[in-house]
Amino acid sequence: MQRRDFFKKSLAVAGAAAIGSSLEAASQPITGQKVSQVAFPQKRPMITYSDRPPLLESPRNVFAQAITPNDQFFVRWHMPEIPTHIDLKEYRLKVNGEVEKELSFTLDELKHEFEPVEVTAVLQCGGNGRSAFSPIAGGIQWGNGAVGNAKWKGARLRDVLERAGIKKGAHWIGFNGLDNAAYYKTPNFVREMHIEELDDHVIVAYEMNGEELPYLNGYPVRLIIPGYYSDSWVKMLSNLTLTTDYQKLFFMDVAYRIPDNDCECEEPGSHKKVKTKPITTMNVKSMIGYPTNDTKVYLNSHLTVRGVAFDQGKGIREVQVSIDGGKTWEAAILDDGKNGRYSFREFRYTFNPSKYGKQTIMTKAINKAGEEQPLAKEIKWNHGGYKYNGIDTVTVEVV
Amino acid sequence: MYKFLLAIALTVLSLSAAEVKEDMQVPYIPYEIKMGEHFDVVQAQCLICHSFGYIINQGPQSKAFWSGKVQKMKNAFGMDITDEDAVLVTEYLYKHYGNGDDK
Repeated sequence: MQRRDFFKKSLAVAGAAAIGSSLEAASQPITGQKVSQVAFPQKRPMITYSDRPPLLESPRNVFAQAITPNDQFFVRWHMPEIPTHIDLKEYRLKVNGEVEKELSFTLDELKHEFEPVEVTAVLQCGGNGRSAFSPIAGGIQWGNGAVGNAKWKGARLRDVLERAGIKKGAHWIGFNGLDNAAYYKTPNFVREMHIEELDDHVIVAYEMNGEELPYLNGYPVRLIIPGYYSDSWVKMLSNLTLTTDYQKLFFMDVAYRIPDNDCECEEPGSHKKVKTKPITTMNVKSMIGYPTNDTKVYLNSHLTVRGVAFDQGKGIREVQVSIDGGKTWEAAILDDGKNGRYSFREFRYTFNPSKYGKQTIMTKAINKAGEEQPLAKEIKWNHGGYKYNGIDTVTVEVV
Repeated sequence: MYKFLLAIALTVLSLSAAEVKEDMQVPYIPYEIKMGEHFDVVQAQCLICHSFGYIINQGPQSKAFWSGKVQKMKNAFGMDITDEDAVLVTEYLYKHYGNGDDK
């Protein structure tokens, strides 16, 4: 099914390329993929791109609600060997490197020796929506659902590091988890953060929506960096290592990078090496959770469009909806925002479909800095297919 | 096959309330990959680190893309493969998951 979509898309690309400049760099991501018949541990059946390492996407209807249930939360691992058993008697979070005193904490110590803090924050893969790009960008062809929003509880990373004593010359924090490669030579999925990026919202979380973290979402502890793409939210966190200098790491220097220019874009097919930068903070985005493309609605019935909107934490100001193909836009009703600026905001918009046939619904989020979601066709291409945030579009049939 | 998958699904669902105290069983999914020349090399090499799903869900790509992926697996991730076999894997990938751009 997914391959058929790819072929359709690749034919469309070939056709457009033949005409020349009419080629658009992005359309809508693939949607409506079937969930797998096989469920993963602690998960309902999800769209499954790979079992090893596990890559699971949430179906669109999950985004009709502000909090994403743990058992439908997307999953993305980089390494094939994930521990299948965590013994809490053995588990330690180690703090080492440029610290006054190397320390290690049990899960219980993390829970009880540090002030617990909560933050509701969106976790989104940098490649979410990658399947929208033409020509097809490198990487897993995610649809819309490599994103979720949860209430995380944990200890402040700063508190944990300060317990060990941050040495004056320490500038970088390295994060490593318990997942491993199949080859000894494969670089570990280690991420680094400059110590200046460390604020009180960055936590080592041991709770997700009031429960312990699902195994596939990083049990027992994962890093939470609100506002940032999920590439640095290391799962099954085992080591915090402070260093004076930036360590050269594959997953920092090669993966999860975009062109370092104003449009964050490049010419497809050009083999010129462009200067790149990490993807870092998320751009403004909305997604429709209901209805979906296979929904049929009755003429003149009461149709309430529901969805979510978010950005990097500047805050959502408005979500607008268009039911006339983008000619006119009307404001949707936003929730009260009580989950904070890093959370999904829920929106709804009601109308009565008044014509038989196809009815397109488009949603556009605007944040408090005035940044707007662009039309898909306005989005420029990058080779990794990162940071797609085109105006979301769903087409229903009015019967 | 369907019944077999359903049986796995039900088994796994019944475990879903458990905490991570027992061993977690991550299911195996038999992705339908295309058969063809040099498939044996692909199976022997690629499955060490990842599923066939990881390949087929990249979408159709150019020869340069697939060659680049194989080189990344070898040079960055440490895949133990001869230069000859790397060429065979690239040929297989481009033949079955290519986009017609053979540069």
